[in-house]
Amino acid sequence: MRTVKRILGARVTRVVAARLGQSVFVAVGVTFLTFSLLNMLPGSTAAVLLGEGATDADIHNLELKLHLDEPFMVRYGDWLAHAVVGNFGNSLSGNQPLSSILGQRIPITLELIVLAFALSLAFTIPVAMLAAHKPGRLIDKLSMSTSMIGLSVPAFVLALLLILLFSVHWKVLPAVGYTPFSQDPLQNLRGMVLPSATLAFPLFCHYTRILRADLVDQMATGEFILAARAKGLAPFRILLKHALRNSSFGLVTLVGLNVGTMIGGTVLVEQIFAIPGIGQELLLSISNRDLVVVEAIVVMLAVAVVAVNLVTDLLYTIIDPRVRTVQSNG
Amino acid sequence: MVDVSGAALLTAPSPADEPEVSTERQVWRRIALGAELWVPAGVVVFLLLACFVWPAVHHVPDPTKGSLSDVNLGLFSPHHLLGTDPLGNDVLSRLLYGGRVSLEVGFGSTVVGLTVGGGLGLVAGFRGGWVESVVMRVLDVFLAFPSLVLTIAITTYLGPSELHVIYAISFFSIPAFARLARSATQATRSQTYVTAARLSGAKDTSIMLGHIAPNILPQMITFSLLHVAIAITVEASLSFLGLGVPPPGASWGNMIELGQQNIYGRPALILVPSLLLFVTVMALNLLGDAVRRRWVAR
Repeated sequence: MRTVKRILGARVTRVVAARLGQSVFVAVGVTFLTFSLLNMLPGSTAAVLLGEGATDADIHNLELKLHLDEPFMVRYGDWLAHAVVGNFGNSLSGNQPLSSILGQRIPITLELIVLAFALSLAFTIPVAMLAAHKPGRLIDKLSMSTSMIGLSVPAFVLALLLILLFSVHWKVLPAVGYTPFSQDPLQNLRGMVLPSATLAFPLFCHYTRILRADLVDQMATGEFILAARAKGLAPFRILLKHALRNSSFGLVTLVGLNVGTMIGGTVLVEQIFAIPGIGQELLLSISNRDLVVVEAIVVMLAVAVVAVNLVTDLLYTIIDPRVRTVQSNG
Repeated sequence: MVDVSGAALLTAPSPADEPEVSTERQVWRRIALGAELWVPAGVVVFLLLACFVWPAVHHVPDPTKGSLSDVNLGLFSPHHLLGTDPLGNDVLSRLLYGGRVSLEVGFGSTVVGLTVGGGLGLVAGFRGGWVESVVMRVLDVFLAFPSLVLTIAITTYLGPSELHVIYAISFFSIPAFARLARSATQATRSQTYVTAARLSGAKDTSIMLGHIAPNILPQMITFSLLHVAIAITVEASLSFLGLGVPPPGASWGNMIELGQQNIYGRPALILVPSLLLFVTVMALNLLGDAVRRRWVAR
């Protein structure tokens, strides 16, 4: 702690500590909200699990076994105590330990998300730079209208359009199905193209608009840009070396903020493309009323969102010296 | 009292009125600016009329009682302008009734989010102090939620229906509205007209409702329009997954789902409702954008 203090200064340490505390509060709040919401919803878990033909006595026995008869706060406390050490219990329907279910599915969803972010940034940066290079010209107008259109296409519609084009019409990419990476890396990536493109396209549209606006603004008003111009640097070089570098901080924050939205998107995309990731498991458990799995996944996703936001925030504080001097007012 | 609320904003000079532009260009600019607002507004009004008024004044085939002898008719068939689906239902009629669902969910959940979330944010931003801290921290928790996931959970447990979709979407729209209202309120709180109102002895509620609310309204309306588009997309997604409006009830989402089952034979069943969904969402996005450019003071 002391070394951290020496490197960053007392004020940063205070900001970081406050931000950490806030995140812990949000994370605990999320678990509470998930637990209470899912428990408030009508329908007895035990009755659903036993199916039709179960007697009241059977239901009562199962409720006792699952501790469903205990008061809400007791169950929540019990669950939280186990969850903190990573023990989410066994799935109600399959009786499999949750950690093994999640362990299989998380890497698949992670691959999808990473590919989608990589794809969106790989297109955003060159397109936004070309657009900002000559604002108001053809490329600028074209990219801006494309992104406006792209932001209005719902993800599942985009997925179906891509399937219609690439799988039904041209037959170049598989429409559904998943091949494990270890089995056949090439086939795995081929199967991931359409799903990750579905997730990446709206992000690309969003990022391009924001990055382009930021670059144009900097080129017009930034004093350091003026200095670089006065030195005689070529405009495109200024854009690349000075403006883009400055804008990249904002872009990083945005990527962090989008992780949450992205996770919601994967639920739909995994369902359409039949990818056995975390989203598919979630839909399955919701329809099986497997509360244990649903709670664990929702909490895990929410905590992941909180953690990513925290990390981007802190990175931002550490990388960008200007943020350090401004008191955070979260 | 001098009216400093809505009217001042409405007549505020738009950034497009640059003095050095020649008059002719200025005229074209004004027309373009007008079109930017009125074209999407026209599309939205047209959709409202088509979905809610047209079936009431003109005979439209029932969206659910199709005849099995009219299965899978193509576009422009007699009596069925957009053909029929594999169940024999008229596609145009299902589009109109499905549009009702979309618009009801979109506007319904937005009204709830705007009043509840906007109200919370207004009070939090105006009061400041611990009220603000408590409200904002609780909202942080909601914002960290994968809301689509919980919306799915809520509609599954309550049972798929239009009303339950509205409940679920409204619930998760509150934090975003509250955050926006709070930051907008903070920006206006220290304005001179608020101080003036306070000095003249106005009560807190009347300052909030009479002075601050009208000033943050353009910003809230911009976001509301975007939110209507988001809610329509969410409803379509839920119905597509079979968790929104249950068939035989019509919704654009479940129409597209039926199309997906026939993706190899009849892509039109996907494309027609998708196009309408896209046009609706796009019109709302553009309208929101136009309102922001025109009326949101920077």
